[in-house]
Amino acid sequence: MDRSKPNLQWQGGSSHPVTAGEITVTPHSQALIFRWAHGGFVWNRPVAVVVERPGQTQRIPIFDLTRIVQWSLLATSAACWIGFMLLWRQRTKDMK
Amino acid sequence: MDESFDQIAAAAAKSQEQATQLFERLMEVAQPESVYSEAVTSGTYTVITASEVTTGLGFGFGVGGGTGTFPASKEEGKESGKEEAKESDKEGQGSGSGGGGGGGGGSMARPVAVITISPQGVEIQPVVDVTKLGLALFVTAGSMLMMFSRMRRLSGG
Repeated sequence: MDRSKPNLQWQGGSSHPVTAGEITVTPHSQALIFRWAHGGFVWNRPVAVVVERPGQTQRIPIFDLTRIVQWSLLATSAACWIGFMLLWRQRTKDMK
Repeated sequence: MDESFDQIAAAAAKSQEQATQLFERLMEVAQPESVYSEAVTSGTYTVITASEVTTGLGFGFGVGGGTGTFPASKEEGKESGKEEAKESDKEGQGSGSGGGGGGGGGSMARPVAVITISPQGVEIQPVVDVTKLGLALFVTAGSMLMMFSRMRRLSGG
């Protein structure tokens, strides 16, 4: 790989399966890797676990509740700002 | 000068190599094993912690050198006589080299969920960072209040 050029990768992977009784759990993760000539950045997060029982396979996603709530608050805030601005514009236009 | 410049360049190259090695080690966090903890078993229960891992590193090095002429020092000549002044009127030659480098990095891990394997099945319980959410809520409420009060002031209400 040419390290002089910035390189962006989005790679998924699975960890070692864990077996407990009849259940085998395989955790999956996803990593964002950004590399440049003099450094880099890695963001790795869990995405799901694959649960295998005799005759049954199930994929259970892992949600990052903290991040979901944070983004929801940000989206609410942005929506309120836009709404307030539109209302204010309308109001000032009506006053003229 | 060439010798000292070569030494500096060699030292910089070595440092860069070490930084690259460090970076390669940091890149190990991209492996799934860094996200999931080792399974802990207690009785019929097995618990695995899932975390979000972030790491970053940046470094840089630079070396430089050069040769050049410097103007003759006439002051010295004036003080010590005509002959010496002539001598010092000659331009001199000098050379220099230098190098430097620096870098910085950081790493962060935050638990996201706890996976519990029990005879009843597999359960995923989210881990909520209350401090982070409290701060986000505080900032959101603050920005909305600020916007609202500013609009009221501007519209003369």
